[in-house]
Amino acid sequence: MRKYMVVYRSVVMEHLQYGAQIAVGFISYFIIIFIQIYLWNYMYGESGALIAGYTKQQMIWYVMITEIIWFGTRTTTVTKQAAGDIKNGNIAYMINKPYHYALYILTKYTGEWSIRLPIYAALAGCMGMLMVGGLSGFRPAALIAALPVMILGVTINGVFKLSISLISFWTEDSNPFQWLYDKLLLVIGTIFPLEVFPVPLQPLFKMTPIYTVCYGPAKLLVDFSREKYIEILLAQALYLACGLGVLFLLYNRGVKKLYVNGG
Amino acid sequence: MNAIEARDLSKTFRVKQKEKGMAGSLKAVFRPKLQEIRAVDQISFSVEEGEMLAFIGPNGAGKSTTIKMLTGILFPDEGQVEVLGIDPVKNRRKLAYEIGTVFGQKEQLWTHLTPYDNFRFFGAIYDIPNSDIETRIRELADTFDLGSFLNTPVRNLSLGQRIRCEITASLIHKPRVLFLDEPTIGLDPVVKESIRELIMRMNTELHTTVFLTSHDVGDIEKLCRRIIIVNGGRIVLDDSMEHLKSHYLHRKHKENAQPSEVTLESIITEIYKAQSLQHPEAPEPGMEV
Repeated sequence: MRKYMVVYRSVVMEHLQYGAQIAVGFISYFIIIFIQIYLWNYMYGESGALIAGYTKQQMIWYVMITEIIWFGTRTTTVTKQAAGDIKNGNIAYMINKPYHYALYILTKYTGEWSIRLPIYAALAGCMGMLMVGGLSGFRPAALIAALPVMILGVTINGVFKLSISLISFWTEDSNPFQWLYDKLLLVIGTIFPLEVFPVPLQPLFKMTPIYTVCYGPAKLLVDFSREKYIEILLAQALYLACGLGVLFLLYNRGVKKLYVNGG
Repeated sequence: MNAIEARDLSKTFRVKQKEKGMAGSLKAVFRPKLQEIRAVDQISFSVEEGEMLAFIGPNGAGKSTTIKMLTGILFPDEGQVEVLGIDPVKNRRKLAYEIGTVFGQKEQLWTHLTPYDNFRFFGAIYDIPNSDIETRIRELADTFDLGSFLNTPVRNLSLGQRIRCEITASLIHKPRVLFLDEPTIGLDPVVKESIRELIMRMNTELHTTVFLTSHDVGDIEKLCRRIIIVNGGRIVLDDSMEHLKSHYLHRKHKENAQPSEVTLESIITEIYKAQSLQHPEAPEPGMEV
């Protein structure tokens, strides 16, 4: 465990140097949320009605939180770097070290998002308070309770993205699979909450890992309930266990197929 | 005691083949053709503990594939290998604690961190207690004169300083065997010389067994007393440097050549040429799955 803590610390040390660049990257976030605010203002109008059970404020904050997760975890470590390591054979020079490659990459990813995500959360929080206002009925306890759900959510996201990258052991390119996963994450969990989709589709979407990555943490922050909290935590435990199972299976099978350039 | 034992070691790669042009590309999608390349073909050798061995050969001869099998990166198709009595196939993790590897063309250091932070990182990776890491870093920094750039980020170091740090990082856990794959590639003569001195000191002061592959005759001549030449995946020569030179000197003397004409480079070139007639260079296997 200590070695992974050191990997984590090294990544944090490395990425602390990029704090300013990460903050500059917030501009894209700002533009997207700015458009979303105007879009939802138009859709809600002045009536104060609910859409899919969400007030206008809840809906905008939901989108802001899911976009924080999207932007805050947007690193190439579990995607391009891992797939690249396999394709160009770099993985060969890492698997002869006394650590597990998949856990090493996941730890690097954790170090990266643990710098990016708080920066985005702080900036987005300020932006939300200024442009949307605080959530009515929001309890700070919900934030504390939702924290482990958010950490589990981004971890599950990393596990699934890395598993997709490990497909590179068998295919020339895992990017199309990564693209598909990203788009599902964006449409099903990020831009709209689950309740916006037709009722017959909702149970199907609930069965995807996306339910536990974006929807879960955001839903708990905008509309906390104990039942929902337990349901999402259980789903996350299940998806994390399954995801890690798939990850280790793919890694153990794939590494035996490794052919590395002789020169 | 032998540090390395390889018996009838073989490795075959399957490499995709494609006929020329668009038709060939389409055909390869539906009916991929695979060609088998025997990268290493039943090689056997042993290396004694504390020995410095040059394991050389032309491009595509099977040198790096052999190193990768010895370090547990690749699994041999046939044969047996033991490094310090450990089977790399079955106990790669255990072996990792006993060996160090430097691949001249691959960076293992974190470029945004300083050498000091990198050494601490590698120390933790090899489960060395924090108090021992500090002592070890001080020892290595003194031995290899790293003090002046120990706290400079790796990205700001010269290539020579970086390679010195790469080698030092691979020694942090006191490996008993060090595998060096072209450690002086791309370095200027002065830096090459300092790297060679570092390897020599490592061998004499730390008694580390060194398994070296290099295309640089200077590395081989100045560091190793024994040489193994491979070609076409097979060992074509396994001899002491001294015997190899005297043998060729004697032969050239018969051909009335001047002794100054008989250099290690000319000997190796002659062996490569003679062997290439028997083993035309095999295409290098790519990353195929």
